[in-house]
Amino acid sequence: MASTLLTSKHVVYIQSLDTKRDRLDYHLTSHLRLSGIYWGLTSLHLLNHPTALPRSETIAFVKSCYHPSSGGLGASPGHDPHLLYTLSGIQILATIDALDEIDGGKVVEYVSKLQNPDGSFSGDEWGEVDSRFVYCALSTLSLLGRLGGAPGVSVEGAVEFVLRCLNADGGFGMAPGAESHAGQIFTCVGALKIAGVFEKSLSEDQVNLLGDWLCERQLPNGGLNGRPEKLEDVCYSWWVLSSMAMIGRLHWIDKEKLVEFILSCQDEENGGIADRKGDVADVFHTVFGLAGLSLLGYEGLREVDPVYCMPKEVTDRIVWNHRKIPTP
Amino acid sequence: MNPTPPDSYTSDPAWADLLPLPQDDGQHPLAQIAYTEEYTEAMSYLRAIMAKNEHSPRVLQVTAHIIEMNPAHYTIWLYRAKTLLALSAAGEVWLGRELEFLNDLALRHQKNYQIWNHRQTIVEAVAAAAAPAEQGRLVREEKEFMNIMFEHDGKNYHVWSYRQWLVRRFGAWDGELSFVAALLERDVRNNSAWNHRFFVVFGGTDAQQGGGEEVIEGEIRFIEDAVFIAPQNASAWNYLRGVLKKAQRPLSSVESMCLGYAPLDDPDKITSSHALDLLADIYAEKREEHGKAVKALELLAAKFDPIRANYWNYRVGLIKAAA
Repeated sequence: MASTLLTSKHVVYIQSLDTKRDRLDYHLTSHLRLSGIYWGLTSLHLLNHPTALPRSETIAFVKSCYHPSSGGLGASPGHDPHLLYTLSGIQILATIDALDEIDGGKVVEYVSKLQNPDGSFSGDEWGEVDSRFVYCALSTLSLLGRLGGAPGVSVEGAVEFVLRCLNADGGFGMAPGAESHAGQIFTCVGALKIAGVFEKSLSEDQVNLLGDWLCERQLPNGGLNGRPEKLEDVCYSWWVLSSMAMIGRLHWIDKEKLVEFILSCQDEENGGIADRKGDVADVFHTVFGLAGLSLLGYEGLREVDPVYCMPKEVTDRIVWNHRKIPTP
Repeated sequence: MNPTPPDSYTSDPAWADLLPLPQDDGQHPLAQIAYTEEYTEAMSYLRAIMAKNEHSPRVLQVTAHIIEMNPAHYTIWLYRAKTLLALSAAGEVWLGRELEFLNDLALRHQKNYQIWNHRQTIVEAVAAAAAPAEQGRLVREEKEFMNIMFEHDGKNYHVWSYRQWLVRRFGAWDGELSFVAALLERDVRNNSAWNHRFFVVFGGTDAQQGGGEEVIEGEIRFIEDAVFIAPQNASAWNYLRGVLKKAQRPLSSVESMCLGYAPLDDPDKITSSHALDLLADIYAEKREEHGKAVKALELLAAKFDPIRANYWNYRVGLIKAAA
């Protein structure tokens, strides 16, 4: 079992993802391609190989997913625009310093049209509501430098909706009344952080209760689950850990055991990280495993921003350095 | 409504008017692509139909075919929904059939959520056209189908979200409490069911709502029974804290129950770390009992939940700082 990070294998693994175009599963995942590129690119940056994907092709692909009529981005050319992929596209461009390649004003317009009267955001024109989409909206707007004064966007309304998703057990769910879930907690806490209102929205007791719920996700094997009585999964190394970092409670986790768990899920032969030891690796679990290790201070990895799941140097450059609120 | 897909769209007269549109992969040459033929062909014909903005029955055929191969392809679902709504408005399809199609798919693709978004769109459309009595039947059938889903996985997040939407949308609170009780009887550790219980007892708009004294007493008795079966069940203890907070009762009102599972003076008989945790909070509230709170937390850090030792030690620090 690997006890160190297999950096060069992971780099090769990610580079190889786009060369498997002759395989059906490549095409069956076209509905999340743009997010896949964001996961791969972020992994490579954290691994200190920021130029391992060709820059101009990356930009060209993002632009091919852009819908000039609405301002949103779809997962691949020919796929409808959606907030999830709009955020992924903007994250990619921000990371490679290419935001001027797209009409930011038009993207802001797309995002603003998806806000509902109750402050929530729909994922697309069909109205599916999920607290994740509030995060997507606020993250996108802030990366474009348009959080304040985006026409038609009520940040207060968005915050109000997120707070309605807070449960008695201290966590957040996908809608008011829905079960607490670590993934939703990341998006809700992240949205409050981006809006700059986290500290005034939750009391010290509420933060401690949330931290209690989060650190309770660690299982005796060191891994984290996303809800009580569920199995551990590497992706929660990100959703849980980033939330704990954002609320300043990261030290409640047994870090050594978690590092050991994440490293044990690496594919020692072909690179990449799986959800659990012995399963097939994928780029989704690779980025969240690496980002988790980065938050745990693993040697040789670049620092990740717990709010944006992007390299910290990128978010410092385009977000935090321009804002008066303190970096989390 | 979803006739079997043709063996080949190219050789089927019903599709002969369309020129299939292959994938435009931007700068990448098409030659690199060797999709399996079936998927490629169906996608090409769908692209051709979408390019014409056609909303006809054969859209249902080809989208069902592609969804069968790739149910997460959200763009296909959206086009299918648009088509269904158009055909239904024209009286050309009965949307009830779509729900049967979705039942079958949902059972075979338990983790897919596009199916449930689509279902919500369809149910809204069905309800909009239904008389009140028909709406009642629709809701009943939806709940019956969800029960089947929960038999496969009682914690399916998409199904639970859909259920809460349905209950709120149609005010369908009746029977929810007994439904939850049955699920908890099957698996008392099902956190999703506990969450739904909270939603029904405190979030509902029926007679149960508001949490009068009687309701609170009933909930506490329910928790006592559940904890008796499984003392180390985080969900029940979390629910207890939620109920006490809603009822504005002090934590100390359940001290004796906690001591039953965590006798501080006889640590060998402790059966629940959650009872210890709650006792620590109860005793932290009174300065003269801080010693007992520290003892509970130290037991957690050393013996009953050592993986979270940092957290328990942090709480010891808070108590000592307050002294």
